[in-house]
Amino acid sequence: MGLLNFTGEPVPEAVSGDMHNLNQLSAQQFSALTEVLFRFLTEPKEVERFLTQLSDFATMNKISLGPLKNIVKSILLVPNGALKRNLSSEQVRADFIALGLSEEKASYFAEQWKMNSPTLTRLAVGQTLMINQLIDMEWKFGVTAGSSELEKVGSIFLQLKLVIKKGSQLENVYVELTLPQFYSFLHEMERVKTSLESFS
Amino acid sequence: MAALRAGDFAALQLLLKAPSKDAVRQLCQECFSSPPAALGALAQRACPGLAVSAQEAEQLVCALHNLTRHVVYRGFTAPEDILCLFPENFHQNLKNLLTKITLENISAWRNEAQASQISLPRLVDMDWRVDIKTSSDSIARMAVPTCLLQLKLQEDAALCGNNPVVSALTVELSKETLDTMLEGLGRIRDQLSAVANK
Repeated sequence: MGLLNFTGEPVPEAVSGDMHNLNQLSAQQFSALTEVLFRFLTEPKEVERFLTQLSDFATMNKISLGPLKNIVKSILLVPNGALKRNLSSEQVRADFIALGLSEEKASYFAEQWKMNSPTLTRLAVGQTLMINQLIDMEWKFGVTAGSSELEKVGSIFLQLKLVIKKGSQLENVYVELTLPQFYSFLHEMERVKTSLESFS
Repeated sequence: MAALRAGDFAALQLLLKAPSKDAVRQLCQECFSSPPAALGALAQRACPGLAVSAQEAEQLVCALHNLTRHVVYRGFTAPEDILCLFPENFHQNLKNLLTKITLENISAWRNEAQASQISLPRLVDMDWRVDIKTSSDSIARMAVPTCLLQLKLQEDAALCGNNPVVSALTVELSKETLDTMLEGLGRIRDQLSAVANK
């Protein structure tokens, strides 16, 4: 096997056997299986649903679930590597052919890959490390009517509650701002937005 | 906040022993700013300058603290309001001097009271920077802009005394989060304008 695009490491031996089995599926069956796979890739949290759909596929097409799972494991190696390495659909197609998949099926998969890659890329980017990510912001503002030192006050206060993700825990941070501080904060955030937009 | 007591005015007359009007002015300022717990130490410092006993100094300092704080609490702006606090037989010139000093300082003292009132941690400073993420373990090549926001927060002034505790919090925001945040801040601004225009 020549150099593959999606990985620099040698591929497990079972893969060529799995590709051979895949080639035995009809075009319709392959298309149905591909659909199940991409639905899982675009919604990786839906593990239960994925396993149910695989098991339904196995029953409907009279294939044993065990071998089917191995085949799916082998297939998934390619899109996972392709995502990490920003591969084009041409490269994905070439890799499948190199692994032993028929040209027809490889082209079909590559097409599906092309259609789904924006969603998949966005998902991968979303998984990228964020430090102290801001999850939520709640606010309230009001008037201080009086205090123990001043009978009548009448000044406006603004309170923010920032929900921050520190590692796997959520932490609440409370901040109070005066009105001038709020306007200055708003102004700065608008500058940040302009800056972010110029880089998008 | 302590209320004015009858004995306070007797103690205030000790100010007649002060070396100058400026000394009285200075003492008023110090008595106002001092928290009740620090009045004892202040009395000890003031004692020599006034030629009074330690006990008299303490009574004077407490009385002056109560008077200045009471005036600020009520928010008096007219001399009559302050003058009528004093009893009939109080020394006329001293009464006028104290009224004048308090009126001179009242707005500065009001600001001081407001600045030290209880509150949630206050924002004292904020800085930001925009980074471009070019690579990560989940995707080898990308160009994703992200914002790092550093907020400097100061804990309640009353809890820290003279050593305010300032903590820095650095938060990361994606473009989407920033947009949502700006939406929220915009709504606050609109509501503030609505309240201001009423």
